[in-house]
Amino acid sequence: MSFVAENIRVSYGAREALRDVSLTADPGMVTAIVGPNGSGKSTLLGAMTASLPHTGEVRLNGRDIAAMKPWELAAERAVLPQAARLAFPFTVIEVVRLGLQAGTAGDRPEVPMQALSRVGLAHYANRTFQELSGGEAQRVMLARVLAQVWSPVAHGRPRWLLLDEPVSSLDIAHQLQVMEIARSFARAGGGVIAVMHDLNLTALFADRVAVLSEGQRLAFGTPAEVLTDATLSRAYGCTLRVCSPPPLGVPYILPHAASA
Amino acid sequence: MMCSKSTGAAIVALCTSMVGAFVALAVSAQQAETPANPHAEILSIGSAVTEIVAALGQEHRLKARDTTSTHPPSVQDLPDVGYMRALSPEGVLSVGPSLIIAGEGAGPPEALDVIRAADVAFVEVPDALTTDGILHKIDIVGDALGVPEQADALAAKVNAEMQAAMEDARRPDADKKRVLFVLSTQGGRINASGTGTAADAIIRMAGGVNAISDFEGYKQVTDEAIGTAAPDVILMMDRTGDHAADDDALFAMPAIRLTPAAQDRAVVRMDGLLLLGFGPRTATGIRQLNAALYGTDS
Amino acid sequence: MAALTDIDAAPRDRASRARALHWALAAALVLVSLASLQVGATDVTLSNLAAKLARGEALTQMDRVVLWDIRLPRLAMGGLVGAALAVSGAAMQGLFRNPLADPGIVGVGAGAGLGAILAIVLGGLLPSWVNALAGNQLTPFAAFLGGWGATLLLYRVATRHGHTSVATMLLAGIALGALAGAVSGILVYIADDTQLRDLTFWGLGSLAGASWAKVLTAGPMILLAIAAALTLGRGLNGLALGEATAAHIGVSVQRLKSIAILAVAAATGAAVAVSGGIGFVGIVVPHLLRLASGPDHRTLLLNSALLGAILLILADVIARVVIAPAELPIGIVTAVLGAPVFLWILLTRRGLADL
Repeated sequence: MSFVAENIRVSYGAREALRDVSLTADPGMVTAIVGPNGSGKSTLLGAMTASLPHTGEVRLNGRDIAAMKPWELAAERAVLPQAARLAFPFTVIEVVRLGLQAGTAGDRPEVPMQALSRVGLAHYANRTFQELSGGEAQRVMLARVLAQVWSPVAHGRPRWLLLDEPVSSLDIAHQLQVMEIARSFARAGGGVIAVMHDLNLTALFADRVAVLSEGQRLAFGTPAEVLTDATLSRAYGCTLRVCSPPPLGVPYILPHAASA
Repeated sequence: MMCSKSTGAAIVALCTSMVGAFVALAVSAQQAETPANPHAEILSIGSAVTEIVAALGQEHRLKARDTTSTHPPSVQDLPDVGYMRALSPEGVLSVGPSLIIAGEGAGPPEALDVIRAADVAFVEVPDALTTDGILHKIDIVGDALGVPEQADALAAKVNAEMQAAMEDARRPDADKKRVLFVLSTQGGRINASGTGTAADAIIRMAGGVNAISDFEGYKQVTDEAIGTAAPDVILMMDRTGDHAADDDALFAMPAIRLTPAAQDRAVVRMDGLLLLGFGPRTATGIRQLNAALYGTDS
Repeated sequence: MAALTDIDAAPRDRASRARALHWALAAALVLVSLASLQVGATDVTLSNLAAKLARGEALTQMDRVVLWDIRLPRLAMGGLVGAALAVSGAAMQGLFRNPLADPGIVGVGAGAGLGAILAIVLGGLLPSWVNALAGNQLTPFAAFLGGWGATLLLYRVATRHGHTSVATMLLAGIALGALAGAVSGILVYIADDTQLRDLTFWGLGSLAGASWAKVLTAGPMILLAIAAALTLGRGLNGLALGEATAAHIGVSVQRLKSIAILAVAAATGAAVAVSGGIGFVGIVVPHLLRLASGPDHRTLLLNSALLGAILLILADVIARVVIAPAELPIGIVTAVLGAPVFLWILLTRRGLADL
């Protein structure tokens, strides 16, 4: 019962965006995908959500996603896109309900409000989505995704949250809030795969980290194993120093120590 | 969202405006109806048909007319059932005719089907741009009205007038003026008559030559083609407005400016029905046009 | 997290309002239908007929023709055409994620127009048995084939590897529209005077040619297409989030596009074929309803069908009594009444109208 990508290749015309990348994400954990711009992070997520044509195999809880119908996939995993786009003036609560229409938690009308509360936006339920700021819109979309897979485990199978840069337009308090939501989803038995830009948040919240560079997987393991001077410097093409002060026992990255 | 009230109002406004318009106009439509004439039973469609009915002395039997029927002027007081090619079946039935006499081209066909189904007699009068054509129309209308003697008399009179008018208009080919019939000059584009039209027929009957013989029907003509056609006279339908200003504008058009017609400022404007109707007044039209073209009432 | 306890703001339920609107509009439809049977240029009215029947008198031939051959088929056709245009508009707007989209985008209008012009101008050149077989129905039939054919062509052009690009379809539609316009222009040039008149009146749209034959030919197709479109509510809602996200929440996007495009082509093609060009219903009706009860397509599509039918039946009643015994082309009525209301909405509620 894992989310497995094997030997994924994706090409955009002549350019190979991913070359033989494999990744296994286990339930109960937050798995982060990091790497520099253009390294193939979002492309890998795209292949795993079946939104990009690719070779290789992706298995969700043991089933090949190529053989699954859209509604079967929707019942087992939810995807938070990078940009929150919406046509027509739906209200916030209506947007969150859109996640339910795929027939997931459709029989539990209280779920959308609970999901909105979870991201701290219950009082915005009746606002029009287009009135929201970028950060609020992103949190509403997270609530929609949460509502879609509200129970982290259903019928004995883990459900999955696939998040593409979930904190990109959030302030630091809401970055922590969102990562906390992701972690508690994982702790409750679900699986989380997140494309991350911020290495410190990754170090703080991820249980497993995959580092991509130029379409290939450079490293995969716990943050302590992966977030090292050597790996990160190689991945990002600049000298980075990972610091780990004793009191926290967690690594953190200091841009101040960077030298090109 | 605070829009609910005003959008509800928008829907209500839309519906109310429609209903309001409908009620107001329904009332005015009813008031416009003319008092019923006890003998009236006929709906006449098409200008030539209406003129023939009047010329047969049967105008008192007309109950309604179509938009194109405007002569004699007294028929304009009758209810108008609309354009002859876009009749509304219920509109036609509402004037309560027992007989409909229609010129060729009345329709649409679906409307005629329904009208026939309502047990209203329907007589179609074919169109033809010749003297015989006019006589045939008179014959059919006379039969439909049950006045064959009057029809025979009218036909004989019209025939004599036509023959005389055409005889008087006859002249050697070398003396004939080249006439360009211009239907419209909308937006600087000239829509002129080729062959096979009523305009072409009346120009020939009146002793002229149609300046354009390259195409059939009314078409938009290029500036150069008009130069090549070299008309001596421009013929147009009479419209309301300032003719002097219209003439200036007409002869200032690049296409027309270089023609012989422009040099003489030769333009003839005539009543459209008289000119193109091919009804009982056509002989008069021929004489008028001939006089206008050649300056003398020959 | 204080927000966790902050659930007192109960979600205001536009969905129940939209459902209430189903019933209100259905009732209004019954009322305007009765009005449409009651009113006309003749003095035949339902109340008169009822009184006659009550006295045991037989109906006259005139009564029967006016009611059965004129007003009833007009009512049925007006309702069908209005519903078809409004539902098609709502579906296209959902599919293209744009409130200004109309069925014209998928080439129906251009194709149908070309078909009609071909039939009007060149119909006489067909072998006489074709004309005998088609009778009065040649123009509507050609219009339907033209609209349907244009849409299938665009659909084919825009579909690669089982994926339809709506952007490609839009661009190809513009090209096809230009081409159809050019061919139409050539045909207009060679048309004679009476054919030109026919073209003009066809373009203005009218229900005056309504007949049971047309209702029975176009009706089943329109009803089937509307029924298909009504199943698309959930999918179109998902599509508001974009194609990728719609797929992620379980929408079968390609199937949705195929059904929407084919249903719209059938409904609009049949509607345009029997009534000519009738503007504004497809844009105004869904827009008004979105403002009134939200953009949820699960209710929007049915409400559009109802309001579209209501407005067209009303417009037709106006068209035929305003200058009775003559009548206005209905396209003029919908534009004259629809455009100012639409402008008013744009002026007063521009912020929301943009969305």
